[in-house]
Amino acid sequence: MSYILNRILSMLLTLFLISAITFAVTNILPGDVAMMIMGTQSNPEALAGLRESLGLNDPLLVQYGRWIGGMLTGDWGTSLVFKEPIAPLLLQKMTASGLIVLFSMSIALICAVPLGVWAAVHPNRWQDTASSSAALLGVSLPDFFWGIMMILLFARALHWLPSSGFVDPGEDLLLAFRHALLPSLALGLGLMAHLTRMTRATMTGILNQEFIRVARAKGLGERTVVWRYGLANAVGPVMTVAGLQVGYLFGSIIVIESLFNYTGMGWLTYQALLNRDIPLIQASVFVIAAVVMLANLIVDLLYVLVDPRIRLS
Amino acid sequence: MKLPAAFRTSKGLLGTALVLVILLIAVFAPMVIPVDWTTKMDMRARLSPPTWAHPLGTDQLGRDLMYRVLLGARTSIVIASSAVLMSIVIGLPLGLISGYAGRTTDNVLMRLVDTLLAFPALLLALTISAVLGPNLQNTIIAIGIAFTPFLARIIRGEALRVAQMPYVEAARTAGNSDLRLILRHILPNIMPAVIVQSTISLAFAILAEAGLSFLGLGTQPPDASWGLMIQASRDYLDRAPWTALVPGAAVALTVLGLNMFGDALRDALDPRSKGAS
Repeated sequence: MSYILNRILSMLLTLFLISAITFAVTNILPGDVAMMIMGTQSNPEALAGLRESLGLNDPLLVQYGRWIGGMLTGDWGTSLVFKEPIAPLLLQKMTASGLIVLFSMSIALICAVPLGVWAAVHPNRWQDTASSSAALLGVSLPDFFWGIMMILLFARALHWLPSSGFVDPGEDLLLAFRHALLPSLALGLGLMAHLTRMTRATMTGILNQEFIRVARAKGLGERTVVWRYGLANAVGPVMTVAGLQVGYLFGSIIVIESLFNYTGMGWLTYQALLNRDIPLIQASVFVIAAVVMLANLIVDLLYVLVDPRIRLS
Repeated sequence: MKLPAAFRTSKGLLGTALVLVILLIAVFAPMVIPVDWTTKMDMRARLSPPTWAHPLGTDQLGRDLMYRVLLGARTSIVIASSAVLMSIVIGLPLGLISGYAGRTTDNVLMRLVDTLLAFPALLLALTISAVLGPNLQNTIIAIGIAFTPFLARIIRGEALRVAQMPYVEAARTAGNSDLRLILRHILPNIMPAVIVQSTISLAFAILAEAGLSFLGLGTQPPDASWGLMIQASRDYLDRAPWTALVPGAAVALTVLGLNMFGDALRDALDPRSKGAS
């Protein structure tokens, strides 16, 4: 229990540091919110008045205090580009992104684990070469390139799936699924390749260990040895790596959502960055970092559930 | 001199060959190819498929894709290697101090590094690039800063491991100063890990530069960049898929080469992890 409490306390500290870094980085931006609202051609006196009323003349620490206070109480400010309150906007976009992140993670895990195990039980044979080469190619291509290839193949040539756009699952579940499929595949392919390499490496190490030899010597079937004894020990490390990749996914959604015009969190962040919408940049960067950190915490806690050795040590 | 066994495998050989070819292209292509060949617009041959005159086809302005992709190699390599160098220059002392200096310093530094790791690298790089204004130099800074926490973490782990070795203990007992211990005994022994990690980071940096440029927050025109070329091709995918395929293949071959080279390098320098990937 104290382990979990410890982790949560350390998470709160990290969350505070994330907010400080986000605020610091975005405050180096040339130009300010007042200028963004009124435009560069505006009357200097009106601009100064707006600055004063927005509190932009206060010391940075006071501004930070006000910002973090707002974030804690649910007042996240208003987006300068979308002219909407930020909190509901982010929540809506996060749901859209959550869909493709979960989807791509599932695709990646479902394919990568069997492929990695398959390669590990046939070291240096054609199965290993085929799976490892495919994985190597997968990690070597930018995900937006996969995305473009998929648009060409599945949308333009075969007309199976739409090439862009987002549909709310609440409106039409099937259509939402069809729109989410290509971005999820583009996101998931690189991840799948990475996890295949990781699973293979972990399984290779485990299959060379003493207890596997003992299990074989006892006369257990190869299937039991590999899946029941080998994979059970590989689940923890593979899960940890998969959890760490949530961060990678939330970086990649910026490119993939922009490519597919899928209006989620990544698309929103990109619009905020392009238009220097400072309040929106601050909120979305903070939220993404917080979500990534939360995902890692969940994986760590799951690891404790899966592997009793950590709980006991 | 005999080549280490790891480089005599087909993967090691292919990786080394690819890396060498791309390095040669990056160094010599801009010297050999006249500037006007890469910017010359052949309006009658816009979006031309590969022909004898244009072996890899042309883009929407009728510019020769082969010359542009060869020229883009330098942009990619310069940005990626400068960014990785920057992350080593910051991450190496950070990791060394954290791994060697003891609990309090280690805790403070690693807390900071862990916080930075919560930001997806691409998001961090994009934000920094947007804040500083996108250009070649700021792309290097953005990717360099975004990659530093990874490197610092790995170097810290290695330093922690090496610092507990009996020979370091022996050197300490012999009366060596902390600085000498770090520079003479720890640093040389973590270098293999640093070199391997740098090669892998280089591959990631190439991908990051392509991503940044693809989003318009990296290399800016008229500089030739593979990411920019792929972005420009988006509107012509139906009519001219080669405008995306050519720069995409260039990125893939470079990153593939670096990954294979990195794998072989790791097997050669760190026999413990042999065949780990």
